[in-house]
Amino acid sequence: MNAHLLTLLITLPILAAFIVAFIPRQATGTLRTTAVVFMLVELFVSYSLLDGDYTTASYQFLEQHEWIPVLGISYKVGIDGISLWLVLLTTLLTPIALYASWLSVDTKIKEFAVAFLMLEAAMIGAFVALDLFLFYIFWELMLVPMYLIVGIWGGPERVYAAVKFFLFTLVGSLLMLIALLYVVGLYEDLTGVYSFDLEELSRVVIPYGTQIWLFGAFALAFAIKVPMFPFHTWLPDAHTQAPTGGSVILAAVMLKLGTYGFIRFAMPLFPLAAHYLGPTIAVIAVIGIIYGAYCAWVQKDVKKLVAYSSVSHLGFVMLGIFSMNIGGVEGAILQMVNHGISTGALFILVGVIYERRHTRDLDEFGGLAKVMPVYATLFVIVTMSSVGLPGTNGFIGEFMILAGTFASEALQPWPQIFVFFAATGVILAAIYMLHAVLKLFWGPLSNPKNENLEDIGTREIIAVAPLIVLVFWIGFFPGPFLEKMTPSVSNFITSFQQKLMIENQDDTARLLPGSGGSPSAVAAATARVVVPVAGDQGGEG
Amino acid sequence: MDFANIADKALLWIVLLPLFGAVINGVFGRFADKSMVTLVGVGSVAGAFVLSLFSFFHLVGLKGALGDDVAITNEVYHWFSLYLGSSEIPINVTFVFDSLSGIMAMVVTGIGLLIHIYSIEYMADDPGYARFFTYLNLFMASMLILIFGSSMPVMFVGWEGVGLCSYLLIGFWYENGSYAAAGKKAFIVNRIGDFGVLLGMFVLMMATRSLEFDDINAAASSLGTPFYFGTFELGATATVASLLLFLGCTGKSAQIPLFVWLPDAMAGPTPVSALIHAATMVTSGVYLACRLSPVFMESATAMAVIAVVGALTALVAASIALVQNQMKRILAYSTVSQLGFMFAAVGTGAFTAGIFHVYTHAFFKACLFLGAGAVMHAVHAHGDADVRKLGGLRTKLPVIHWTFLVSCLAISGFPLFSGWFSKDEILLGAINATMFWEQAWLGWLVYVILVAAATMTAFYMFRLYFLVFWGTYRSAKVEVEAEEDSSPGASIPPPGHEDDHGYDPNPHRPHAAIAGVLSVLGVGAIVAGTVNLEPLLHLLHVHVDIAGAENGNIWGTWLSGTVVHFVPAGEGVGALSYLAAVGGTLATATGIGLAYVWYFKEGRMPMAQVTGFAKVLMNKWYVDEFYDATIVRGSKALAVFAAAIDKYLIDGILARASALGVSLISWLATRPQNGVMHSYAALMVVGLAVIGWWFTHPHTNLDGVATRSDVTWTTGRGLGYEYRWDIDDDGEADTEWSAEGNSASHTYGHDDWVGYALIFDGNRTGESEEIFLDDSVVVLTESDIGRGWEADPEAGTTPPSFRVDEDEIVFLKNDARARVRGGDAEVEERLHPGDTVQVGSLNVRIGAVVRASLEVRNSFGNVARDTSEVVIQPAPRTREVAALEAVPATQGGAR
Repeated sequence: MNAHLLTLLITLPILAAFIVAFIPRQATGTLRTTAVVFMLVELFVSYSLLDGDYTTASYQFLEQHEWIPVLGISYKVGIDGISLWLVLLTTLLTPIALYASWLSVDTKIKEFAVAFLMLEAAMIGAFVALDLFLFYIFWELMLVPMYLIVGIWGGPERVYAAVKFFLFTLVGSLLMLIALLYVVGLYEDLTGVYSFDLEELSRVVIPYGTQIWLFGAFALAFAIKVPMFPFHTWLPDAHTQAPTGGSVILAAVMLKLGTYGFIRFAMPLFPLAAHYLGPTIAVIAVIGIIYGAYCAWVQKDVKKLVAYSSVSHLGFVMLGIFSMNIGGVEGAILQMVNHGISTGALFILVGVIYERRHTRDLDEFGGLAKVMPVYATLFVIVTMSSVGLPGTNGFIGEFMILAGTFASEALQPWPQIFVFFAATGVILAAIYMLHAVLKLFWGPLSNPKNENLEDIGTREIIAVAPLIVLVFWIGFFPGPFLEKMTPSVSNFITSFQQKLMIENQDDTARLLPGSGGSPSAVAAATARVVVPVAGDQGGEG
Repeated sequence: MDFANIADKALLWIVLLPLFGAVINGVFGRFADKSMVTLVGVGSVAGAFVLSLFSFFHLVGLKGALGDDVAITNEVYHWFSLYLGSSEIPINVTFVFDSLSGIMAMVVTGIGLLIHIYSIEYMADDPGYARFFTYLNLFMASMLILIFGSSMPVMFVGWEGVGLCSYLLIGFWYENGSYAAAGKKAFIVNRIGDFGVLLGMFVLMMATRSLEFDDINAAASSLGTPFYFGTFELGATATVASLLLFLGCTGKSAQIPLFVWLPDAMAGPTPVSALIHAATMVTSGVYLACRLSPVFMESATAMAVIAVVGALTALVAASIALVQNQMKRILAYSTVSQLGFMFAAVGTGAFTAGIFHVYTHAFFKACLFLGAGAVMHAVHAHGDADVRKLGGLRTKLPVIHWTFLVSCLAISGFPLFSGWFSKDEILLGAINATMFWEQAWLGWLVYVILVAAATMTAFYMFRLYFLVFWGTYRSAKVEVEAEEDSSPGASIPPPGHEDDHGYDPNPHRPHAAIAGVLSVLGVGAIVAGTVNLEPLLHLLHVHVDIAGAENGNIWGTWLSGTVVHFVPAGEGVGALSYLAAVGGTLATATGIGLAYVWYFKEGRMPMAQVTGFAKVLMNKWYVDEFYDATIVRGSKALAVFAAAIDKYLIDGILARASALGVSLISWLATRPQNGVMHSYAALMVVGLAVIGWWFTHPHTNLDGVATRSDVTWTTGRGLGYEYRWDIDDDGEADTEWSAEGNSASHTYGHDDWVGYALIFDGNRTGESEEIFLDDSVVVLTESDIGRGWEADPEAGTTPPSFRVDEDEIVFLKNDARARVRGGDAEVEERLHPGDTVQVGSLNVRIGAVVRASLEVRNSFGNVARDTSEVVIQPAPRTREVAALEAVPATQGGAR
């Protein structure tokens, strides 16, 4: 079973979606229960992933089958210390997200459940795919259910938000597709065979002038997904319009695919470009941290506030990734998980008052702590996680990112300047989050509409409880999480730097010897290794 | 039973007991009986106190046996590891109980326990009783983590943890919006300080590759190296780190410029003010400075800054306290001022004196706050008690009166009370600083400021004392101006309690808990100073060693293993200590005397209408207003601006402008489809005409591929096409019309060249590049060449260049390293097509440009003409020709 564990994880939700599709739509309770039960089974199964050997950097549960041999496309999935936590985050948050929307979504429940199950399959697929074609399919497949979730079950402006979300992401993805095909073409030039295998394609040495464009295309696709400043404007709209469950998945998991894409694809494929553009991206990341925080501060809509806070938090993640330092990158990966937990919990909690009052306007609230004490307590705990208070998960991530950046070689000679400005984000986070807490919970209960609000219910507490536990668990015991990452992150950095060194000395197009590539490909590579780039001979007038 | 082992474990339990207390009360407190809440809340702290006491005696025993720098350590677990490049920095949760943290633990658990007991009575009727003890226990746990943490990150957990508890407790009565706002303000201002701590931590981490206090202190002497912020040199690492950490201290310990949160923090219940905002949390900045004293000592600049800031804070806060009318508010500014004294001590190198003052201050300030709280309780004042409505409480509340009096004497530095000893040490420290600082006047300045601040302290404390406890009880007789102070937390009572009411005409006396705690603290305020009898013995010209400590300074000897203890120069110390004692005592006498004359003998009352400078003081030097007008409003404006940019500019361009572009194109594209038949017909005619023209005219796309001097030209085929070549473009056709000749080859000789070209290989982008040479000069740039040539702007070096001169290309090498035909180039080389010049990492080949023309005719008789150019690379015309003979056989073909 272990050999097919990842396939099982991808297919199980699809299977569940089929089953759900055959349940009568009147049986709403059965529909919901079936979907959630399947997701819980999925969660249970995904814990077997922890049995993998993460003391090495090699992929675990690797599975490869030929798919379209002519084009070198294969079904290849595997997991390492980096994707492990993101997959687990997905399997944990999907049932929570659906369960949190249990009652708020009361139309087309069947379609809603199916969309969530398909979304889960696509997200897991994207995290474990090691073939770029396969990755691209899952990457695009994610769009559809999310588009429907926002567009059908969303708020009053849902169609605008859904279309905006779809178009933004699609533009980036198409550029990435073109760049991807170009890389495959280069590989074919050098070897005579096609391949979409990530490990194979990583061996291609691409001249800087070409690489910069290819990296740009990948980076744009991922930056839109992250979203990095200035490509973030789809996010506040999508979040405010999406139903609670949609917002949770969007913020907690889908955004991580952008940052994950940088680590898994964009940087290993194009190290030279990543290296030269690294400081620039770091500058944008820091701008995002501060800009997102300032924008969050003045939002009236709580969901928008949380959405802008995501822009700020993911700026930290991007900064950590481009510090190219084990501490910084590990911090970034942990922060991806942390952001999933804290922002996921925040969206669920915002959903709680939205369900009761059908508004998220901060001015409508105040003094809620009096009528909803448990709710207020949970909200403050999650807020503290979000602002990175030591003892919560947020601190570990931010601390490691900032420490890693401070010691970064890749960002020399400016790392301290980056840290200085990024750390102001820590102050700003306290400002905007406590501003929201003050507006929601403290002060007199002046709005009569809030006087009879019910405190958070059992269902909602069950949805948030695992996240709250994780807030403290990661905060106090981050060791086990980080230990499993270290070999993969360390390998990511060493192989990046090795390829960078080779390309820095000589970046004529060629293929580096692979560790375990197919023999024919290697032979072809050695035969044609000296072929220069087209146009070198001076032919056209 | 292994005694040492218990002591090790005891540290963990000192922290865990209050933490468990917080969790239990936090989860079950709402449903539980009040007595259970009390048992858990107070019991856990009592347990922590007993364990601290046990550890303390254990440490005393260890010190006797093993020397001064022993510590009890408790390695709890490995938190996480930080990998930076090749080095691993493990971050372990390890608790250390040494002479410094031992004293702090005793103060925190001891005073903490007393205040917990006090709170049982004080908070008895509050609906948030369980919540209060939850927060208070959480605070105890955080504070103890702060003290015990052996590394900076663990310390930081406590550091921010106490900040959180402070936030929650200031806003404890959250229904009052301004109280909650005061809590928020405290948290944010502290975060600004934490920003400094975080950065300071990183600076030390980079310099010492460790985050353990011990390692950092051990490496302190190496911190003189310059620290670079990007490419700017900021100064010595020690200076940068110390100042950044001090920024954190100004936040946590309420120093200029971040002191503004502490006075507002009095919105919290009085026990909170006593415990967190007077005795313990606010002193953690002093603790941090002492913990890292070797680092601070490395930087004279940082020390001077700290001393001056501390002294100025002492003075400014004391001056504000002179005119305030609320009991807690006066005490709050007094706390800020006393913290300033502590930092003045730290800055002058008198770290032990700073900690000494932390310790004595904990007693008398806690006693004062709790006394104020007891008064408020007794007269049913809510929020804060206005001195103008009090008076004559001496007889009504005797226990409060006596404990308040001794604490006032202690804080004023009345001889032989605890404050006298510690203040004397601080003044002595300032005088000592004059001897080792290069700018001796700075030490004197600090001394003078501190004496002035001490005078004010004595004055405002006794002003408060006389106004509250002497005269007659004024109850509600005084009209209070409502608008006098509008800052948060000042005079705004919780909802339901309007402050325009009079106070209870019959104040009730406190019960056992409050009275007992006040008495214990009162005794402490008197005798706490006796652990350091040095000042007294100096004055008496007695030199005795007490308990192994030189000259009665048990305190300094005790701390010598953990804190840098500056030893004043031997000569003249006696005289200087007189100066310290005389200055301090005079200040006390002046301050108390003036207060006595004004408020006791003359029976003055606070001014109803403050004017002039007093108004500036009443309004706290307008610091809050200044920050509000600049930083707060500025940031808020920036936020509004950012949100507007986001909405209109970024979203405007990315979403709306691009959508507009698409709809514009679609609008244009749909215009012809207007449904009008004759316009369709007209368009069809135009379309047909264009297609017809295209079909009746031939099309050429002449393209050549060169191998050395041979060029093969090709053009597209077409139905009925015939071709006629003018292959050397001399205007005469070289072939006849032929249907098959869409391709032609020719070997070009010297006469066919129409120009020259440079072919760049191996430059940065890795792709070759061609430049057609005309009359202008092609200059190579640094980025083209890579290594091998560098412009020197001062020497005015010129880069290498190429230009055409008659039938040759002149290469000027200038200062570059260049090779031509395998040898070093001359300064000026005349080159021909086929030659290669290597400049740095750049290869430049010289090529020639040749041109061909072609005419194409189709069956309609229409003729099209096309001319195209291509760069060829003839064989080098040089002596190596023989070697090149072996290369392609196509070379030298007939024309």
